[in-house]
Amino acid sequence: MTETKDGKRGSVLVVGAGIAGVQAAMDLAESGFKVHLVERNPSIGGAMVQLDKTFPTNDCSMCIVSPKLVEASRHNNIELHTYTEVESFSGSAGAFQVTLREKARSVDADKCTGCGNCVAACPVRQVVRVQDIFELEPNEETRAVDEIIDGSGTNREALIHILQRVNATFGYLPEDAIRRVALRLSLSFAEVYGTVSFYKSFSLEPKGEHIIQVCMGTACHVRGAAGVLEEFENRLSVEAGGTTDDGKFTIETVNCLGACALGPIVVVDGEYHGNMSLSKVSGVIDTYAKRAS
Amino acid sequence: MHCNSIADLNQYCDSLKSDSQKNQIIISTNATCCLLQGAREVADAFQEEIDRQGLADTTQIVLSGCLGFCEIEPMVILTDQDILYQKVKAKDVPQIIEKSILGDDVIQRLLFRDPVTKKRNRNRDLMTFYQKQNRLILGNNERIQPTSIDDYLAIGGYQTAAKVLFEKTPEEILDDIEKAGLRGRGGGGFPVARKWRSCRKAESEDGVRYVICNADEGDPGAYMDRSVLEGNPHSVIEGMIIGSFAVGSHEGYVYVRAEYPLAVEHLEQAIRDAESMGFLGDNILGGGHAFRIKIVQGAGAFVCGESTALMASIEGRVGRPRAKYVHTVEKGLNQRPTVLNNVETWANVARIMQIGADEFRRIGTEGSPGTKIFSLVGKISNTGLVEVPMGITLREIIFDIGGGIPNGREFKAVQTGGPSGGCIPEELLDLPVDFDELTKVGSMMGSGGMIVMDEDTCMVDVARYFTSFLKGESCGKCVACREGVARLSEILERICAGEGIEEDIDTIKELGEYLADSSLCALGSTAANPVMTTLKYFKHEYDEHIQDGYCRSGVCKGLFQYEIDPEACTGCAACSKVCPTEAILGERKEPHEIQQDLCIKCGECYKACKFDAIAKAHVSEVVV
Repeated sequence: MTETKDGKRGSVLVVGAGIAGVQAAMDLAESGFKVHLVERNPSIGGAMVQLDKTFPTNDCSMCIVSPKLVEASRHNNIELHTYTEVESFSGSAGAFQVTLREKARSVDADKCTGCGNCVAACPVRQVVRVQDIFELEPNEETRAVDEIIDGSGTNREALIHILQRVNATFGYLPEDAIRRVALRLSLSFAEVYGTVSFYKSFSLEPKGEHIIQVCMGTACHVRGAAGVLEEFENRLSVEAGGTTDDGKFTIETVNCLGACALGPIVVVDGEYHGNMSLSKVSGVIDTYAKRAS
Repeated sequence: MHCNSIADLNQYCDSLKSDSQKNQIIISTNATCCLLQGAREVADAFQEEIDRQGLADTTQIVLSGCLGFCEIEPMVILTDQDILYQKVKAKDVPQIIEKSILGDDVIQRLLFRDPVTKKRNRNRDLMTFYQKQNRLILGNNERIQPTSIDDYLAIGGYQTAAKVLFEKTPEEILDDIEKAGLRGRGGGGFPVARKWRSCRKAESEDGVRYVICNADEGDPGAYMDRSVLEGNPHSVIEGMIIGSFAVGSHEGYVYVRAEYPLAVEHLEQAIRDAESMGFLGDNILGGGHAFRIKIVQGAGAFVCGESTALMASIEGRVGRPRAKYVHTVEKGLNQRPTVLNNVETWANVARIMQIGADEFRRIGTEGSPGTKIFSLVGKISNTGLVEVPMGITLREIIFDIGGGIPNGREFKAVQTGGPSGGCIPEELLDLPVDFDELTKVGSMMGSGGMIVMDEDTCMVDVARYFTSFLKGESCGKCVACREGVARLSEILERICAGEGIEEDIDTIKELGEYLADSSLCALGSTAANPVMTTLKYFKHEYDEHIQDGYCRSGVCKGLFQYEIDPEACTGCAACSKVCPTEAILGERKEPHEIQQDLCIKCGECYKACKFDAIAKAHVSEVVV
């Protein structure tokens, strides 16, 4: 390590290799300092690599961060210490003494090419992970989830099936229920939430008493489904996907119900109404408005 | 009864043959669309009447699956009398029994009037809808009740699988399928035998291999797979048993859309029945082959019809496709070799092994043997499921089988292949339909949706519709698809709103090329097909939208207005009666007029006018 004129040493320790740490390390390294970049996890990148987009420009987050990660790992002035934690430090500005604990990786980092073959070959599949979920006070929602999971098992394969049953029970997926599913299946909340938000048949919000589904399949479309949908939206003053203020109706669109001979087709609470036209819309609404759910 | 050997099976099937000599009344109540049109009430009325008159000894009701002709449901077929009655209501039932079953009469008013020949036809042999079809797969629907395994056994079901399991080696099955030239019916048209062979050869660390049936029929306007699963679920199971034996698999999955509750119900029962009879299990018919099937229900994601996304979804993950450097036949579900075929393909497998590869090859074309089921929907007289030999022309399907366009309108285009397909114009209608020909003109076979469009369909709007559909269904993994389709959709929305500019056309073409080159799965790489084909064959409509601010089809609101021709208007008031905003004024028997400021352009008056007096015109200049 080089001594500077005033006796201070010219190397810097950056703790944490998230996007901020990596950027700081690179700026310093570019200015000619030797940088020790310490990261607690086995890999650098931090939280940003888990994001899809960044605010406010909606840029793809990986597109921003990955070139920096590569650069940081190759930079001559940066020495990476991954899977390492700071144990203690002493001294004052310019001459700190830091003790690092590098955890056993059991892999020779110089030789490893990151091919992933060892991961595939490892017979132990059940990974112990840090849970970001907490045990909830049992309530109606968690009890219903438990009942469903007791019947289906806690395999990852059962996740979508479990969520479908929970969704059918409540009409939507309450947050407590999602947390309970994550806990019971040893998955992170984010993972379960990501699955829920990907698939269309799950809802994160409660729905109205009556659910109006307007088929938007191609056959219905060419026969005027868009107009029918618009008429429902106008009459109920709510857009597709939303619920009326009085909680009576939810309007949804579906891609295709496969009953194309009857298009345009609308399903209310599982009852089919074929050959819909604008003039029939008010009649359909009136029928269900009078009926209790 | 549980069959422990092939002798058990034969004995059981013989015992079924004795009591099938009754007069059969076939009513399709085991398919979603027929139920919606009141088939259940008709069936109940028949049952009640038969019980009341004590006809149960001679007459039997068959509650079949889809009979194909959705337009005229509920239909009733009397087998002994060879009569087909259309759009039957419960109140017609006593008359049918009295006149046609007990008597010898035909009730004329219930016969189907053919839109092509204009004649009322007594039975299906006389109907153009059925004449040009070859119902290899769907034909069995009318002979069985889908919830009854005995019915399926009585027409020879499972006996093909039994024979194959005992008399053929897996290699021989692969050879047969190869000889038959079967290609995947899900849309891609990949040779089935080649897929199976690769899977059989692929190494599996623990010997586990999977066969999967893809029943995630997401293409809007397509419902062939639903009808096969609802109407004849055992044929799919039988195909899967044969396939599992050929590739050496013991575990199967059916991935089915949750939007198809009846299909799930029938399939569940079929699997239960097949297990209790010994056709699925650890030792099928005592021959040593083990195979079980599980049902997995989708959760509403179009992209899950893609093979790798589907497998991710079965594993309980988010259904995003992955790059296929390593094919799924080598590493698919749970990293094991996996065969994935669609419902129709599996149903074909059992039929091929039953009739033989040579017989199968006689149907269809050299490159694409066999039949294909299409759902013929949209602006067409005879809406329904049609099963045709490959190589038939589009014109024959639309104008002979489909009966042409209703209400005297002009044909404009036919859309095949779902959101990845394209629109085919009138001048290409003599194209023979098979996997290769449709691809040549920029469309594709797809899973079999065939949506007919007439002069009232705006092609720019159709492109906008598909693009906005795909925008919503993109899984978001590839930038080109996630962002490119969204931009494409924005441009088309703008053109449909009358705000398009000249450069838009070039931008669309450029985006289309990028999409095709830089998306991982077919959803993205074919996403521009609907807009590219409409641009190729209907460029003048784009030009009209952009340059003249005019939508000739009367779909894009703001780009046209309805006008009443005072010469043609008779003042019948049919239009003012249906107008939801009371925008049409006029004295009776005097020409009417549309108040343009009140008109919401819903088109109800246009549809109601019997004198062609309402026309779509350019938007008139607003005088301030």
